[in-house]
Amino acid sequence: MGNWRSSTAYRIAFAYSAAVALGVILLGAAIFWAMHAAFTRQLDGIIMGEAQGLVTEYRMEGRTAFLEAIKEREASKSSTNLYYALFRSDGHRIAGNLQTSWPPLGRHDIKFLDVAEGPNDIDEARSFAVDLGSGERLVVAADREWIEQGDETVLTVFGVGLAAAIVIGGIGAVAFGSYLRSRLRSISAGAEAIIAGDLRERMPVGPRGDEFDQVAMTLNRMLDRIEGLLENLRQVSSDIAHDLRTPLTRLRNALERGLSDRDQSATVIEDALNRVDDVLSLFAAILRVAEVESGETRRFFAPVDLSALALELAESYAPAIQDGGRAFTSSIKPNLHVLGDAELISQAAINLIENAQRHTPSGTSIRLTAASSGKFATLEVVDNGPGVPNAELGRITKRFTRLEASRNTSGHGLGLSLADAVAKIHGGKLVLKDAAPGLAATIKLPFVPNPSK
Amino acid sequence: MRILVAEDDVQTAEFIKRGLEELGHRVIHVEAGNDALRLLLTGDFDVAVLDRMLPKTDGLSVLRRMRAAEVEIPVLILTALGRIKDRVDGLEAGADDYLVKPFAFSEFAARVNALGRRRPVQPETTRLDMFGLSLDLLKRQVERDGTSIALQNREFRILEELMREGGKVVTRTMLLERVWNYHFDPQTNIVETHISRLRTKLNFGGKPDLIETIRGVGYRVSEHG
Repeated sequence: MGNWRSSTAYRIAFAYSAAVALGVILLGAAIFWAMHAAFTRQLDGIIMGEAQGLVTEYRMEGRTAFLEAIKEREASKSSTNLYYALFRSDGHRIAGNLQTSWPPLGRHDIKFLDVAEGPNDIDEARSFAVDLGSGERLVVAADREWIEQGDETVLTVFGVGLAAAIVIGGIGAVAFGSYLRSRLRSISAGAEAIIAGDLRERMPVGPRGDEFDQVAMTLNRMLDRIEGLLENLRQVSSDIAHDLRTPLTRLRNALERGLSDRDQSATVIEDALNRVDDVLSLFAAILRVAEVESGETRRFFAPVDLSALALELAESYAPAIQDGGRAFTSSIKPNLHVLGDAELISQAAINLIENAQRHTPSGTSIRLTAASSGKFATLEVVDNGPGVPNAELGRITKRFTRLEASRNTSGHGLGLSLADAVAKIHGGKLVLKDAAPGLAATIKLPFVPNPSK
Repeated sequence: MRILVAEDDVQTAEFIKRGLEELGHRVIHVEAGNDALRLLLTGDFDVAVLDRMLPKTDGLSVLRRMRAAEVEIPVLILTALGRIKDRVDGLEAGADDYLVKPFAFSEFAARVNALGRRRPVQPETTRLDMFGLSLDLLKRQVERDGTSIALQNREFRILEELMREGGKVVTRTMLLERVWNYHFDPQTNIVETHISRLRTKLNFGGKPDLIETIRGVGYRVSEHG
């Protein structure tokens, strides 16, 4: 399946991991900016409140109390480090310990000399400056360190998260990719085996019934069908090769005889024509069995009134059977409906009737019964003739099977094959039983699930 | 009749042409589908015989296009394809009859004759009369020389088909198709046994036979069967 770069399995797995990592990055960035903004707002609130308080102090209590208050606040160590400074209008700091230059009005980020951290440590601070009205300017500032610590925490958490996502995603991608590849490889290996010539090979189907197993099962069903069709084709070719030889040989012999005996030419030609017709009817029968077995006639299926069909058969065949010196009776249950091809069902039943007629001595009784048996409608032809030995019952539906006893009767050994094939494409079956005496041949066809009118 | 035969196999075409001409028909033969279509759209024919596989435009396309152009000439499709699907396709395309190769010429001729007669579309006939035999298709009653005869359903249908053809030959296969709707050939000659029963019933009291057997071909109604 090529290297990993050309592997869709790996590409999908890695792309998925990359998407997860990108998601982590975007989420981290969003949380970072939100936290950062929230901290800044909170800090702004603190310094503005502080400044507001001092301005109120200045207005209400006077300058001395105000300066006192600044000192007091500087002395008390609160959780957030606040710095204060009072500037004269010439920019000179006259109170407070915030070592910075003349600050602009309002909220700003400023730099200051953080003596607590060292003599030359320039730190950043968030500041708020107001004019007191006397030309003096009050500045309250808070070290940004607090915000920076928050930022750092968020970045660390997401950094670790991202690294974990990349590592886990990478490992997962490799594992997932190689899993996909191994599943696909087993299907591919199955296909290769089939290409190599063994059409009976099937795709491995796992126990889980997941998507791959379902694909494998679908492919296997497709292979079953292809194998069936090929088998069908092979069967037809061998049937043609096998059974057309005999009548063609006879035809050839007849024509040869005609050539040497010219007085008989009219008889010979007529004989030859009959033999050609035999070949053609055999040919038609072979193709018909193949057509039915291929299942392509299923698309012409329609609701069939089996009772009416059986009644028509009985009416059509009773005279011919009686003329042949056999008794014919029928018993037909009304309202048997199946889904199928009426003509094929007729043809199958006719084959059973004709078999019963052909392979029994005169005086035999033949009975046609249409009935129901569980989920099946049945068309049964029973005779009380010599029957078929039990050992042969399984064999006689095979193509061209002709029992020794019937070598010299007409027919080409395809009648039961067709009946069997017709029953099968209708989802039913042909059952042959010893009727002691005689043969009982039953075509079982499933009832229509929802009888339509 | 003027008959158009579209058949690309020259030997088959010659065989058909000679046979039909011997029966007194005029035959125009073309080999390609497009030529057949052109003639059918412009010419005046009583019957068209189209091979299913033709060079240029195949038989079914010719048929569909002429039907689309409202040319209602009866069409017989000839084909080497004998599957159920092929027959259904042919009839769906607008064919009036369908014959699978190889065929006996007598079968072919009987079908062409039958198609030709249908051409002036008769108003729905309800009564058929021939040689003292009369069929009431609505009441499904049969009389011969005024005496009513009881026929079984299938015997009635056979007689109806024979009389509809008005003395032309109806083949065994045509009867199987029309009366039984079987497009295969059962080994048992059910047509023969039915005809024989029908004869017995029609020829009561020693009346002359009205159904003539044409050996190896079929049957027809005639005065001296």
